[in-house]
Amino acid sequence: MTALFDLNDVHYAYRDTPALTGLSLAVEAGRRVALLGANGSGKSTLLRVLDGLYFPDSGTVTAFGAPLTRQALADEATAFAFRRRVGYVFQNADIQLFNPTVFDELAFGPLQLGLPRAEIRHKVEEALVRFDLAALRDRAPHRLSGGEKKRVALASVLILEPDVLLMDEPTAALDPRSAGEIIALLAALQDSGRTVITATHDLDSLAAIADLAVVLQDGRVAAQGPVADILADHALLARTRLLKPHADLR
Amino acid sequence: MGEHSFLPGHRHGGGVLDRLGEGLLAALRHGLEADDLARRPGLLQGLDPRVKLAGALALMLMAVWVRTLPVLAALLGLAAGLALVSQVPLARLMRQVWLGVLAFTGLLALPALVLVPGRVLFHLPLLSWPVTLQGLRSAAFLVGRAETSASYGLLLILCTPWPHLLKSLRLLRVPLVLVVILGMTHRYIFLLLHSAVDLVEARRSRAVGPLPPRERRRLVTGAAGELLGRALDLGGEAHLAMIARGFGGEIHLLDDFRLRTRDGAALAGLALTLVAAWWWGGR
Ligand SMILES: Nc1ncnc2c1ncn2[C@@H]1O[C@H](COP(=O)(O)OP(=O)(O)OP(=O)(O)O)[C@@H](O)[C@H]1O
Ligand SMILES: [Mg+2]
Repeated sequence: MTALFDLNDVHYAYRDTPALTGLSLAVEAGRRVALLGANGSGKSTLLRVLDGLYFPDSGTVTAFGAPLTRQALADEATAFAFRRRVGYVFQNADIQLFNPTVFDELAFGPLQLGLPRAEIRHKVEEALVRFDLAALRDRAPHRLSGGEKKRVALASVLILEPDVLLMDEPTAALDPRSAGEIIALLAALQDSGRTVITATHDLDSLAAIADLAVVLQDGRVAAQGPVADILADHALLARTRLLKPHADLR
Repeated sequence: MGEHSFLPGHRHGGGVLDRLGEGLLAALRHGLEADDLARRPGLLQGLDPRVKLAGALALMLMAVWVRTLPVLAALLGLAAGLALVSQVPLARLMRQVWLGVLAFTGLLALPALVLVPGRVLFHLPLLSWPVTLQGLRSAAFLVGRAETSASYGLLLILCTPWPHLLKSLRLLRVPLVLVVILGMTHRYIFLLLHSAVDLVEARRSRAVGPLPPRERRRLVTGAAGELLGRALDLGGEAHLAMIARGFGGEIHLLDDFRLRTRDGAALAGLALTLVAAWWWGGR
């Protein structure tokens, strides 16, 4: 099977701080992958590399069978195709939301990608219902609650129907109920055939949103395997600071 | 980040931090209000953004050009009238523009009062410097022109959703880079304000008792530096988030701007105003 994303010995540093240190990873199409790892292990950086927002200092990244480089994305047609296929939900929803209303926020992505207007209106109306945002339609996104913002951010990306969905801690800083709603939305994507890559600290909901888990440590892959196996490996989880020492899962 | 998480601060001696915090919070609240005003039903809100932009620019230029005080006053009055029919509270216009501009240009205009030679009206008490009619006139022009232009500028910004303003700038052939920079500046400011409020709240919640002045100064300068760093990070992030959603520089909106009858009427009104101002204000 060919890999959708193929990363080989990727290094990335923020000025002097190394964030990815020789990371190699292959993600096959249709897989739901969870990126696990302690704070600072490189999850967010990896997502940005996958989304073609950061480019590695060394090593190679291949996406959809073609090299993902600054030069490749400088080509408008390539960038257009790539942005349509890959969606990214940022950890900080405030950063992602800047339109005057929720309606405009959902329409932003499709508009920038040049979909026909009538289709955009139709899609936005549909998404408002699907993400339970109809009542918030004319509200300003930055004045919503944390959970509502997250739903808008998710909807604003999923409305593009990307083949690949990248998410950075979609449930962080949400109350249990809002987190539950987000998890339910993500779990509903299971049968859509999408590739979903989620960075998360939330081990409890892991099984609902991912089949495979990749554990990062110090900018490298420390382990990967089916979610159940990774969750059962307490020694690994403790070593990579995902569990409190001596804690039991449940 | 919550603009509503703000707890009314207890004032321990009205410290610098507290005042800084309150100023920032007030600014943030204004920023948020601006968004609301743009969506209220009102005369200016209902006009095509291009008409508003062109009108505001023309009236600002006219305010700078007119040579008679009554016409300048009429233009300022027109701005106030437009604010009223567009649900912009005059108190707000006064706070945000008139007082600020007066403080600033008033300072610049003061020397003119005594330095411009001409018919002496009266002498300043104590100093007995002569105030001339011509001096008074040029000071009034300076302040009046600044007040009037600033009023039209603020009305434009308050009554137009930000993306629409950006798009009309593009339609008026303002270079793309400039529009993108303006757009990002808007995001920077917004995120900066959020960040500032968070920071001030965090510092405040950690400051248990009154600090010695030196310590306080250190805190404030530290906060300012950190804020700048954060703003740059956040602005960069915001830009990445836009790129991730397909933004390539050009702004596309759902609604094409459409000129309607009321835009035609507004343009006619604008033309009449400009001609009248030119006729009576020309000398
Ligand atoms: N903007 C930045 N500037 C400098 N260093 C950074 C920046 N962002 C991240 N880093 C550093 O890069 C490393 C990896 O960070 P990254 O954000 O990818 O980790 P993470 O796994 O997402 O962490 P978290 O769980 O806290 O979100 C860390 O050492 C971090 O300090
Ligand atoms: Mg992260």
